[in-house]
Amino acid sequence: MRRMTGPTILHVDLDAFFAAVEQRDRAELRGKPVIVGGGGPNDRGVVSTASYEARVFGVRSAMPLRTAGRLCPHGIFVPVDGAKYARVSRQVMAILRRFTPRVEQVSIDEAFLDVAGSAALFGSAESIAAAIKSAIRDELELTASVGVGGSKLVAKVASDLHKPDGLVVVPVGEEASFLAPLPISRLWGVGPQTRKVLGEYGVATIGDLASLPEDLLQRRLGKHGRELLSRARGIDASPVGDDAEAKSVSHEHTFDVDTGDWEILERTLLGLAEGVAERLRKGGVKAGTIGVKVRDQDFVTLTRQRTLPEPTDLPETIWQTAVDLARREVRGVLVRLIGIAASNLSDREQLGLFAEAEGRKRKAIEAADAIRGRFGPRAITRARLLETDVAAPFERDFSHAPEAKRVGKQRPGGHAEDDS
Amino acid sequence: MKLSVMQENLARGLQVVSRAVSSRSALPVLANVLLRTEDAGLKLTATNLEIGISYWVPGKIDVDGALTVPARLMADVVNSLPSGERVDLDLENPTTLRIRGGRHQAHLRGIDAEEFPVIPSAGDRPTTRISQKALRRALSEVIFAAASDEARPILTGVLTRFSGDQVTLAAADNYRIAVKTLSSLDPVEETSVVVPARSYAELVRVLADSDDPVDIMLAQSRSQIVFHLEGVDLVSRLIDGQFPNYQQVLPTSFSTRAVVEREEMLKAVRLSALIASSAANVVKLRLEGNGTGAVGISAAADIGETQGEVEAGLEGEGVTVAFNARYLQEALQNVDADQLALEFTGPLSPGVVRPIGDDDYVHVIMPVRTPS
Repeated sequence: MRRMTGPTILHVDLDAFFAAVEQRDRAELRGKPVIVGGGGPNDRGVVSTASYEARVFGVRSAMPLRTAGRLCPHGIFVPVDGAKYARVSRQVMAILRRFTPRVEQVSIDEAFLDVAGSAALFGSAESIAAAIKSAIRDELELTASVGVGGSKLVAKVASDLHKPDGLVVVPVGEEASFLAPLPISRLWGVGPQTRKVLGEYGVATIGDLASLPEDLLQRRLGKHGRELLSRARGIDASPVGDDAEAKSVSHEHTFDVDTGDWEILERTLLGLAEGVAERLRKGGVKAGTIGVKVRDQDFVTLTRQRTLPEPTDLPETIWQTAVDLARREVRGVLVRLIGIAASNLSDREQLGLFAEAEGRKRKAIEAADAIRGRFGPRAITRARLLETDVAAPFERDFSHAPEAKRVGKQRPGGHAEDDS
Repeated sequence: MKLSVMQENLARGLQVVSRAVSSRSALPVLANVLLRTEDAGLKLTATNLEIGISYWVPGKIDVDGALTVPARLMADVVNSLPSGERVDLDLENPTTLRIRGGRHQAHLRGIDAEEFPVIPSAGDRPTTRISQKALRRALSEVIFAAASDEARPILTGVLTRFSGDQVTLAAADNYRIAVKTLSSLDPVEETSVVVPARSYAELVRVLADSDDPVDIMLAQSRSQIVFHLEGVDLVSRLIDGQFPNYQQVLPTSFSTRAVVEREEMLKAVRLSALIASSAANVVKLRLEGNGTGAVGISAAADIGETQGEVEAGLEGEGVTVAFNARYLQEALQNVDADQLALEFTGPLSPGVVRPIGDDDYVHVIMPVRTPS
């Protein structure tokens, strides 16, 4: 049996996922501009997903709903049904896993696959990509765009090229010529600052970037410059990690109405901490670092993180750390979005000498986990979280935040600082 | 105040007390050293409110008096004066100290001595006495195991239990514990206090490698402990609270035991730590059942792996246990013996380090559970 010689990495990206699910389930929405996110154009939330019909009007994800309403006055606004999208997402991922166990879910609606070992069973990467597309269409009535390349970078760029319902294969060896004519904005890791520097050298396309001398990029952009150059030439060695190797777990919540109410923020963080902690426990890992993300009414996004004295999977510790980090960032601003990320994950556990106190707490939490496992996520919750709506994380909740960053899911204005 | 001292004596005294100077305190006077004539000498005192150190500099006193001056500056000035010569100190005005040495002089503006906190000093009668050398050695084997973060303040201290003519020192963070018992020179009614490990670290610096005793006094209020040596007093606050019942976590039996050379074992663990530190800092110890005569030490991470062996006298069943490399390394560095016994009861049970030939010390490290 010979190994595949062609490209083996697939990037599968569902087209306008949330909107497509709503259009599938509600016939009256088909062919109409559908805007998923919050209650309506007067709502203070943001667009989660816009259908392609709405995108024609310039409506985009993460845009304030009011702006979307102005751009697309006849748009049909649909509230986010996180539970439903999560269910459909699981069905999609199950389809992907028929072809290879090497599936790295990047977010609710996209994943990387490495099909190098699947040739004997399913044929070339291109035929696997076609089979995946038809399975998603036939079984779930949704469309996906798939890119096939020799690296995650190329596959990701390829899937994005002919959306919706696209299939783009980049043969091995042709990465650089495939990327060359594309604008540099297609390359991940090119933010406003980098674009400005590249602009000074008249760089518009990835090909322009690839032809710059390495020492110049190194001088102007440091290590990042060298990495950019590799990427512009289609070189990206990052492997497809399967889900067991999650690098972080994060949950976030967008408020319907921007809020400066510390009580609400604290309670929201508690709900998010519960969710993050539960995911850590399910994965059998503990987090050594806790971060918070705060986006204010002007879309300025701040992240802060702290390394814990010892790794944890308990909600109290995650919550207290998050509250402590968020406190300084939310002073005097209206918060649009708040999130918690747990990273630095390890499945190794340093056993403790005097663990009795924590042991009791853990037993209570594990009992609650068991109840939720049997009777559903709302079967048992904290009194403080009753009547609130934050415990179920849904929206564009990247199950692996750093991975998401790697594939260029950058939020506007985001910058990170570490206070640890 | 008007007096004369030798430059090197004054410099040494300032060096000793400067360990207690508070560099960032809301109270400006805590950045100062208190100079006070006392018992026909000059007494230097500094404190950060956790610990206070006093040092007596022999000298010739002409006029009694007291003043506080910035400690660091005073030390720097005195260190710059010619050594082997006399230094004259007097007050130019009530808050300005004049320092003269050789053909140089300096004036330092200070803060009134009245503003300096009162530090309890050694009373007439010590609670007990311990050989300086023995206490120094015992502290070195114990204090590194205390917690350095404040998550549980009690664990940043060292339990110090006096019982008859025995003193037991115990320090623990959540993952390891070190316990040492030594003899005191005077019997004491049973009593326990918790002394900050940081204070003991300072005490180790001033204890001499001699059999001369250090006097130990518990202040009446039971909130402070005083150590008195020739020319030096060290006062520490005590930590309130209940030290965990450590006795119940000390293993009383083992199923595997290896006797190793401490130096060899330390080298092997250091090597593995080079790799381990890039990931979760975990090293594995592998002890085969009877016969092989070696302990295997290994580490693996994304960046690479290491394996090594150390000759050992083995008894009992085979076992593989994972530990945090740092805890293992610190124990191997600080235990004062050429040979050590390592005792295990299974991969998830505490590991024990005992010095061969010293039944008065035990060190326990909790293992790391690794995915199988």
